[in-house]
This record gives sequence, C-alpha cells and structure tokens, in this order.
Amino acid sequence: MAVRAASALAATLILCLSPTAGAAETSRSFVVSFFAQQFTNQPGDCPGGINPEDERGQISVALRTMGYGPAEVRRLMAGWDKGGEGERRVAEILERRAVINGEPVNPMTHPEAVPDPNLKFVSAQKSVGFDLDGRRTAEDFIDLRTGVAGIDNQLFRALGCNQNFRGTWTSPSAYGEWVWVQLRDSQPAWLLTITGPSSGRDGLVKVRIQRSLDRLSANMDGSPRAHSTYRLDPDPRSINEFDGVIKDGVLTISRQPKFSILWNGLSAPVLNLSDFQLRLQQDARGQWDGLIGGFQPWRELYFAFSHNGIVGDRPGLWHAMKKAADHDPDPRTGQNLGISVAYRLTAIPAFVAVADPRLRSASAKR
Amino acid sequence: MNTSRRGFLRGTFAGSTVAVGLPFLDCFLDDSGTALAGTRQTLPSVFGNWFQYLGLNPGRWVPDQTGADYKNKVELAMFDPWKSRINLFSGGFYHLDGRPVETHRTGVQIATLGGIPGGRESGASLDSDIAEIIGRRTRFQTLDVTGTGGRFGVSKRAGAAYKPVESSPAALYRRIFGPEFTDPNAAEFVPSTKALAKSSVLSQITEQRRAVLRTVGAADRARLDEYFTSLRQLEQQIAMQLEPPEPLPACSPPPSIGAEAEAGGEVTAVERNVDLFGSLIVHAITCGQTRVFNVTMNTQGCRKAGSTQNWHGYTHEEPIDDALGYQPETTWFIMWANKIFANFLKKLESTPEGAGSVLDRVLVLWQTDHGYARTHTMDNVTTMTVGNAGGLFRTGRHIALAGDPVTRVGLTVQQGFGVRVSAWGSQSNRVTRPITDILA
Amino acid sequence: MNRARTLFDWLRGRKRVVSVFTVLAVGAALAWLLSPSTPNSAKVFVPPQVKASRLTPEQYRAVIGDIFGPQIDLGGRLEPVMRVGGLLTVGASSVSVTAAGMEQFDAMAEAIADQVLLQAANRQIFLPCKPADPRKADEGCARLFLSRVGERLFRRPLSESELRTFVAAAGVASTKLGDFHAGLSMSLAAMLASPQFLFRIPVLEEDPGRSGAFRLDGYSKASRLSFFLWNTGPDPELLRAAREGELESNRGLRRQIDRMMRSPRLEEGLRAFFRDMLQFDAFETLSKDPMLFPKFSRREMADAEEQTLRTLVDHLLVRGGDYRDVFTTKQTFLTPSLAAIYQVPVAHDAPNGDIEEWVPFEFAADDPRAGILSHASFTALHSPPGRTSPTERGKAVREVLMCQTVPAPPPDVQFTVVQNTADPVHRTVRQRLLAHATVPSCAGCHRVMDPMGLALENFDGSGEFRTAENGVGIDTSGDLDGVPFTNPLELAAVVRDNPAIPSCLVKRMAAYAFGQELTQDQRVFVKDMRKLFRESGYQVPELMRAIASREEFYQAAPLRPSDEPPMRMAAIGK
Repeated sequence: MAVRAASALAATLILCLSPTAGAAETSRSFVVSFFAQQFTNQPGDCPGGINPEDERGQISVALRTMGYGPAEVRRLMAGWDKGGEGERRVAEILERRAVINGEPVNPMTHPEAVPDPNLKFVSAQKSVGFDLDGRRTAEDFIDLRTGVAGIDNQLFRALGCNQNFRGTWTSPSAYGEWVWVQLRDSQPAWLLTITGPSSGRDGLVKVRIQRSLDRLSANMDGSPRAHSTYRLDPDPRSINEFDGVIKDGVLTISRQPKFSILWNGLSAPVLNLSDFQLRLQQDARGQWDGLIGGFQPWRELYFAFSHNGIVGDRPGLWHAMKKAADHDPDPRTGQNLGISVAYRLTAIPAFVAVADPRLRSASAKR
Repeated sequence: MNTSRRGFLRGTFAGSTVAVGLPFLDCFLDDSGTALAGTRQTLPSVFGNWFQYLGLNPGRWVPDQTGADYKNKVELAMFDPWKSRINLFSGGFYHLDGRPVETHRTGVQIATLGGIPGGRESGASLDSDIAEIIGRRTRFQTLDVTGTGGRFGVSKRAGAAYKPVESSPAALYRRIFGPEFTDPNAAEFVPSTKALAKSSVLSQITEQRRAVLRTVGAADRARLDEYFTSLRQLEQQIAMQLEPPEPLPACSPPPSIGAEAEAGGEVTAVERNVDLFGSLIVHAITCGQTRVFNVTMNTQGCRKAGSTQNWHGYTHEEPIDDALGYQPETTWFIMWANKIFANFLKKLESTPEGAGSVLDRVLVLWQTDHGYARTHTMDNVTTMTVGNAGGLFRTGRHIALAGDPVTRVGLTVQQGFGVRVSAWGSQSNRVTRPITDILA
Repeated sequence: MNRARTLFDWLRGRKRVVSVFTVLAVGAALAWLLSPSTPNSAKVFVPPQVKASRLTPEQYRAVIGDIFGPQIDLGGRLEPVMRVGGLLTVGASSVSVTAAGMEQFDAMAEAIADQVLLQAANRQIFLPCKPADPRKADEGCARLFLSRVGERLFRRPLSESELRTFVAAAGVASTKLGDFHAGLSMSLAAMLASPQFLFRIPVLEEDPGRSGAFRLDGYSKASRLSFFLWNTGPDPELLRAAREGELESNRGLRRQIDRMMRSPRLEEGLRAFFRDMLQFDAFETLSKDPMLFPKFSRREMADAEEQTLRTLVDHLLVRGGDYRDVFTTKQTFLTPSLAAIYQVPVAHDAPNGDIEEWVPFEFAADDPRAGILSHASFTALHSPPGRTSPTERGKAVREVLMCQTVPAPPPDVQFTVVQNTADPVHRTVRQRLLAHATVPSCAGCHRVMDPMGLALENFDGSGEFRTAENGVGIDTSGDLDGVPFTNPLELAAVVRDNPAIPSCLVKRMAAYAFGQELTQDQRVFVKDMRKLFRESGYQVPELMRAIASREEFYQAAPLRPSDEPPMRMAAIGK
C-alpha cells in the first residue's frame, strides 16, 4: 500500500539539460557549498590601525565626527562608562548624529545625514579578485595568489580595516562566515551546471548558474552532502548562462556583462554583478573552489549591513563604500554606484532536476 | 534490597554489545521519597540542569579518545577530579530543519524542549518531565535559580510560559528555610494508597497467574519459572513501599546565609551568588526539599568590572589571536565559567551524606546553546553529565555522538530517571534510541 | 586362554543364563527399534513439541496498537529476543522474562492501562459502561470490560475463574483507591503483565482425525495463523471463527486464510519475516565512522532498511514476482537522502523541510547495481565501521541467504593485516586477505566466503559505489560453488540461480511459521513446501498460504516431561 502510494505521490523528471545528438556532450552539476565576500588581509595592511569595533570605540569616533574635541570626548565617555546619567547624556547626543532639516533621524537608515567618520582604508598592495575594468589604476591590487596586476577590489579596500571583515584565504571573515552559517540551511541553494564535451576536461563549456527551489542538503554532521538532487528554480531572475573555458582543471568565465541571482535578507535581496568574471579550480574529488567577481551596487550591500550590529560603525561603512566605489557613475551626481568586489565560492557535485509531476527514473552514467 | 536486582540485559549483535538499561522506578521509593527499606539505605536520586550559554572553543575540548580512557583537553581539564563521574558528549547536533537560527535561543529550545516549538505553545522542558516523575513528593517540585540575574530561566511546563527564576540567594533562603520549613527528620509516615492498592491486586492474581504452569510442558515450565522469579522481585519492591522511611541524618538546615551580591553580570557578583545558591541547593537536597534543580547561567552579559565589553560581545568582536589560535578574552570567560561549575561540583562532593557525599546521588546535565558562539554553530555542541544519580547511570565515558542530535542525551537522562518516554524531540531532533552505554 | 575357555564353558553350562541373555538382547533391540527417539528415516511427519513463545518487541507493539490504537505510548523499552537458528522468532521460544524485563513490562503495563482508562478520550472508546458510583467498585462494569479486553489480550476467552480473579482484583483496588477507574486500570495492568499475555501459550486438544495425536485448539490455531501471516494477535473476526469452531474445517480455515492473505496487513507479516531473516535488527547497533562516511547516519540506516523491505514487498507481494529475482531486480525505491549515497538523482516535489517521499527507481541496464545484494541494507550492514569486509559479506550470503553454516574462526586468529587499510603494499582488501590467509587450514572456509564478498567490493562500507581502492582498481571476479562471475551483476545472477537460495527461504519461512527450529521429524513437510515453492514459480505469498493451509501446521506432539535444560536469561551471547 505504501508502495503504491509512493508511486502516486512521487515526483521528478531527472536531469534534462544537455545531451545533444552527435557530439556526446555531458552536463555535470554542482551545488554551492560556501559563498561570502572574500577578504584577504595581510599583516600591516592597515597602517592607520583597525577601525574600532567595540561600541565604546565607535561612539568615540562618532562624537569626534560630530565636532566634539578629544578632551570633551574623553569626559563624555568617562561618564558613559559609569552608566546611568552619563550614559544617558551620550545617548542623547548620539540621537542627533543624523539630522535632516533639523530633525534627528535614524543614522543607520539615513547614513548620508551622518558626518563621515572617515573609517580607515586598506592600503595593502595585494589582494585577490579580478581585473574588472581592464585598466591599471593606482588603486588596483596585485593578485596575492597569481601575481597578476590590475586587480579591482574596492570593497576590500573600503571594509578591510574593520575587524569583522578581515579574513584570509583559508579563514573567512567573521561577517562572511556568520552570514553563511546563519542562512545556509534555510536559503535556496545555488546551482552550477557545466556542459561540455565528454572527452577530457579541457575545452569550451557552457556554464549555467541558477537558484534551486531546495536548500543546501547537509550530512548529519553539518557538512554539505554531495550527490544530492536539487530542483531548478525556473524564476528567470536567477538564471545566468555563460560561455566558459576549462583548462588544466580551472574553469574561467571572462567579462560577462551581467550576473544576477536572488540572494537573502542578510546579504542583499539580489546579487547583481556587472562585468562578471569567474575562476574556479577543481580538485580530485570533483569539488570547485575559487572566486567570482564584478561590480556590485554598494548601496544594496549597505542596507544589508545596516541592520546588523556586528559589522562596525554602519554609517561609517556607507561613507567608506561611497568613497571607494569605482564604477557606474550616476549621470546626475557623478557618484559611482558600483564597487568592485570578489566573492569566494566552493561547490560540490550534485544532481539537478526539473520539478515535474511525471514519473520517470534513470540512473546517471558514471 | 540492594540495587543489583536491577540487572541489565546484554545481547550481542554482530559482535557489538547491546545493553538494555532500566530506569529506577519511583515506585521503589516511598512517599516521602526517601529510603528503600532494607539493610542498605539508598537516598533518592536528584537531577540538576546547568545551562550555560556561549559554549566552549571547538578544538580545545573534544578529547581525541572515546570511551572510558580519554584525556581531557585544556578547556575541560579542570574537571579531571570528577572524570570518573562525568560523561562527555561530543559531535552532537542541534537540527534546524530548514529554519534559520535564532541565535542563543534555538539551541536552548532544542536542548531543553527537544525541538523548535511550532507555535506559541510548546511542550515541557526535560527537567519538568523528570520532576513529574521524581519531584512529586518533595516540597518543591523544582528549584530554579540564575547566577547571572534576569527573571526567566530555561525551564518550563507544557504550554505555559517559562518559569521565573530566583536571582537572589537571600530570597531563596527564605523560601526554603523560612518559617514554612518542616524538618523531615520529624515526619510521620503514611503509606501511599496506590502502593496499597497495587499490593492488594498482586496478591489477588498471583495464584491465577501460577495456574498457567499447569498447562505447559516441562521446558516451558522452566522458562515460566523464571518469569515468576522476576515477578516475585517486583512484588517485594512494592511491599517495601508500604514501610516507613528512614530519617535524613545529613539534613542540617542552615541558620542563615552570607551576604549576597547584586544580581547581574559582573564576574565577582556571579561567583558570589552562584556560591550561595550552590550551598542552598545542597541543603535543600539533604533535607529532602527537592529532587530537581535548574541553574541558568545566562553568560552573555557577564563582564569584568570596569570593562564595557561583555562575554557575548567578545565572542563576535574579538579577533582570533594568530599565535594562540583562539580569542583570548572570550576564552578567559570560558575558563572562568567552567571554574564556577567546578566549584559547584566541589560543593556537592564535599558535603557528606550516607556512605559518601551528596554528589553520589546527583546527576547534573550541563548544556549550552551553540557549538561555537562566534559563528552560532549548531554542530559539535558540548554536552556533559556529572554524577550517576545513585547508580542510575554509568559514567566516565567520552561518547562521540557523530552527528546524532543532542536530544539523545536528553532522552537517555529522562529514561534513566524513569520518565516513561520511548521517543523525545521533534522532527530531525526526534530520537528513539537512548545512549545505552551510559544507562545502568 | 584358560579364562576364555572357562567363560565359554561357564556360559554353555548356564543355559538358562544364555537364554535369558538372548531374550534380554532381543528385547533391548526391539525396544530400541520401537522407541520414539529413533530417528525418523523420512516419510512420516512427526509433529514438533510446540513451545510457548514470548512476544517479541515488534509483536508487543503490534498487539497493543491493534487493541488500543496507535496513539498509545508504550513509554518503555522492550526486552530484546535472541537469535536462534537464524531467526529472532525462533529465539522467542527459548527466552523468558528477566527481573529487569519484568520491571519494564510492569511499568509499560501501568502506562498503557492508565492511558486507556484514565484519559477521558480513550476511556470513552474502550470502556463500554459506566460504574454506578465512580468512587466505588462496580463488578458488573468491571466484568464487562475485563472479559472483552481479556479475550483480545489472552487471545482466547478468559476462563470463569480467571475472569473472577481479575474482577475481584479490580474491586479491591477500586475500594482502596476510592476510584473505580483507577482500580480497573490496575487490574488491566495486571493482565498486561501476566504470562498469558506476554507468552503465546499453546493449548492442545486431541486430534479427532488421528487417534492418540494432538493438535492446537481453535484459539491456538488462530494465534499461530495470525502471528505467521500478520505478525500480530488474532483480530476479532479470527477470534470469532475460532469460537464458532470454523477453524476445525478445511473450508472455514481456508476462508480465514483467504481473508488474511487479501488483507493489507499481509504486508506487515511479510516485512516482519524478512526483517527477521535478513537480520535487520543489526541496524540498531550499526555504526559508521562519520569521518570516513559522513553521508551515512541514522537516517540513512533507517532508509536503507526500508528500501529493501519496500523492494521485497513490491516485488513479491504487489507484482507476484519470482523470489529468486529479488537478487537481480533493477527496480527499487529511494528517498533523496538515500539517492545521494547511490549517487543517482532523485528529487521530490514538496516544500522544504517536508518528510522525504519514497520514489520508485530503476537502475539502468548496464548499471552494475541490481538486486538486494547491491542495496546498502546488505553492503553497509555487513561492514565494520571504517572499512569493508568481504569475508563478513560472503559469510552473510552463506548464512543468511543460503542457510549454510560457516565455522567460526579459530580463537587466536590475527586481524591486523586485513584491517590495515593504509597498507602501502597491499592496497586492496583482496591483496590483504591473501596476505592474511597464510594458514592453509583457514583457506577452506575463506574459499567458501570471500569470493562473493570480493565481488561486492565495488560497494564501500556505506554502500557507495567505487571502482578503485587506494588508487588501485578493484578486481571483482570469483566463483560461487564453481560458477564464475566477473562483476556484481554477474554475481547477482549466479546467486539467483543457486538452488540453496529458494531452499533456504523455505526452511526459514517454515521455522518462522512454527516459531521453532524444525528437526528431521518435520523434514518431509519442509520438502513438500520446497516442491510447492518451485512449482508455483517461487511465489512467496503462495508459500505462506500453503504452510498456513496444511494440517501439519497445527499438529502438536503430546506434552511430556522433557529433559531440555531451561534458558536462564533472555539473551546470552551471539
């Protein structure tokens, strides 16, 4: 009985991307098993010091930018330390940190109205990322891993001296890891499907990156579960198709005009990258690891930061990103709306399926 | 009657051992919940719940070895004096089933309730389930305290809101040992009607049961004889309930307690108040006032005097020291909190009672809200039990849960105390198999 | 010489002694020939000594669920049963109840009785009457309730003295507690802890068709039939048929058998049989190293068991397939998490976080996976936590599926070579086994076990497929009793065609049905069943029907004093 019921209820039609007749093409699919901004700090890359991350430090900076002198700030903070009346006094002052037309407003949602606290920038030579604009400028980095010059990663420059945005290649930033761990079990997974000639790994390929209806499947110990099946989300807002090249186990996609995928409320509602590039390396187990990059609208990033206390001084981050932005000038104001960024992405083998009520089963060829 | 009549059953399947342990049923004890009559006195078991937020540092507490011969790593090394009484569980998981983590809350819910409640109403925390079984005959079904201030702890009844906690040792002292306190050594004994009734029922039907022996062959008769032997033991246990209990010689109600500190997160105040609460709990146990206690250590707000950053802030904002490999201030707090727990254990162990100490009949379940507070992980969550509750559990083991839900520990502890539950928890945190290695 | 002659002379001189001696000798020979312990040399079915069986944990749950509904929480742990002759069901007729077990049964009895009578909703369903005064005893209402429930629990009507006793007990308790329902609940709890409930005690009557012979009485017949086909106690319809003597006639018996075979509950009986025969209880203690096999956890173990049971039910019951084909069938059922272990795509259309559905799945024709030997329920179950063991798997094929016994290894055998999966020289287990089996006397048994396990080396310790071990390609060739194979697919076909496979199923099914190991005395019955099984095209439901329909199934040897040693504890050793 249970058997018949299962037959009636069961779902899917499996894996119908590719095979074209003629050249035996194969598709292999993968699910993203980690995704976060990649910040690759090195010793001494913030000569001016790390921006204060504790509440006290941030408040001191805020008071300074509001025009209070150092001695005055010391006095106010001593009162704040004691709590009670002193704390209330400082809070009152901070209420007017952002003012529009004489009325105080929430500084987190109105960062423009907050005087720029001038958070310190990264001034390292090296970073990871991509040469997005094809030009060499003074603010470019040299790639830490490949040595290539002209790397654009202004988000790193702007945020890399804030404690929770600092990381290395092997250890993600606290913020990035936090967001990923917070949402990986509940947000829709991202899928990568690579279609190319079956003979050998190298050659031209088509790469499709899109969202799934299912969340990332995990083993009982929390690690991502390989060879799970994910239903493709047909929503066109999240479907991206590119041409790519695989050579010596490295997949590269160069200079695509646009990449767009629905994301999450802690990061940004949509991940929009223009001048999109991708570089992933495959290991012996078939797992991919590498970067994607492009120019991202920095204001979208800000509104994700803005409701999260661990990132540091949020209006300060607004001004930092605003100053560091390096792409897509607003026709009226000339302010750059896009900022160069690199994201770390790892992906493990998976199957994709089109959700369909018809019942058909077949096993994938090994 | 000695406790060896509670045997355990062993079978081997495919070379490995299966042991079916059994609960120490409350019906073996009399109404005032004190002794079993007989040549060896056994005092009733006690359950304690110690909930400490913010966990430990992964990598600094999971022993390399499992089983009985394990070596503690640095963050748990201070518990070595009690190692033979401790069961340590690593690799446990709080499953989310697709729901986002509510930091510092979801882990609490799963640890104490077995799962994430579906709506506003939720079930009882496991200490309440245990109290239903062992706490119904004591003056206080549970004692709930917090060392870190605040009004609510992690214990709750089904449906109702969380139980309020005592944050002032002085107030707790008045509640327990104030004018309403009655010395148990003077109590009059009245046998329970339920035990009387059950005893009568058994005497009525035993003859009828034995009639079965006349209807079977010789081989079967021998097997049924074993059944009747087992039945006889049960009958003796029930008969015991009808006899008056022994007095409690270890009970010495304190005339007063020392000055308490202002309830809150400042570290010396927390130490002081937990110390006072510990003494009160020990006295309450020896005087038979309770058999279940809850200590909530909401450590998030703990801070050193003069510091503005609290433990929770450090977990997220303090960088990992490159040389040490961990967050120094955060780790200072971890070791400090562990020391407080160790002091509590010392108190239990240094209070003589019966042939040993109060700790002999206690099991404290130590739980936390995250595996790694810095990133709010829900895997490899530290869980441990201290004590064997008067022989209800076997101890001294490091058990790798290997991805199993932490609720397996909760199920096992409940079963050990006699809660009649064959499954606990909801969705992926639902478990049916106890950790038989630690059930006696 | 003198002595011999003297003895002979003495004998010759003692004619009377000699003749007495002769008479005695002849008499002894006759007695020996005629004594009932003479081995039966073939054609005659001698009924077995029928033994009482303790309810297995599964049966206990099923019975309580049947009588009181699935919402009753047992709230305890059930004493497990030991495996005898390859079956737990047979072991159930060797075990008793230990003191520890008694405590559990007593506690569960109380918990069940309280739920049935003290919870208002349940009480309305199960209690057909109200007491005159709820604070006092009420004999009439107690009698009505206890006689009805007692018949279901004891699987026969209560005798008048039994009923009187339980009613009196309820009365005494009700009076002491000042509560009718609480008192009645105590009596019900006592019933639930009584041996008449916990043990299936057969009642014999004289067999009118064979003089001097005995058979099970109507209710015992009903019990035996019900536990065989449905793995639970007789339902009200079957009890009625027993009560009205319908089970004494062939037609009446057949009608009930037809009813039970047509019922959806037959599936549970089939599952229970295969769960027992395939030793799936080992899943309870199975553990896999989470570092080496992160995909395989409790959930996958439960799924693996269910996958095989579903496959068997579908193939044998739903489709009426040939039993031997379960070793070669490409069709099975998978959940999404199980599919990740088989590395095949299976998704299901359901919201996130929903319970996983089972999906029918068919492996491709050239896929090396086919039949239950390629299921994780075989490959992962018969593997140690961190590696594979071809010997263990081969042994399982022999013992579990072919009913052949392999002797235990000698006590001083060393496993270090075979266990060293990091050995740089012997990189595959085949090489390690060769290095391990240096003693010639071991080769005999290993020759019989290893080849089949080695053919399954494509499946690692968690059932996942691989083509190489430590970088070296896996050689899966071997032979089974002289019939060669080169890969798991061929192994499956060879196993399928081995005559021991159906023969073993019949042997196990018969022992399962009787609830005890069958001896030479019952050999002719088993032989008949084998023939029938073959002629029916190896239809397992038909085999079940055939066993249940035969007269021999209900015959019993008379009770007599026996010198069998009793079993002291419920479970000892392996």
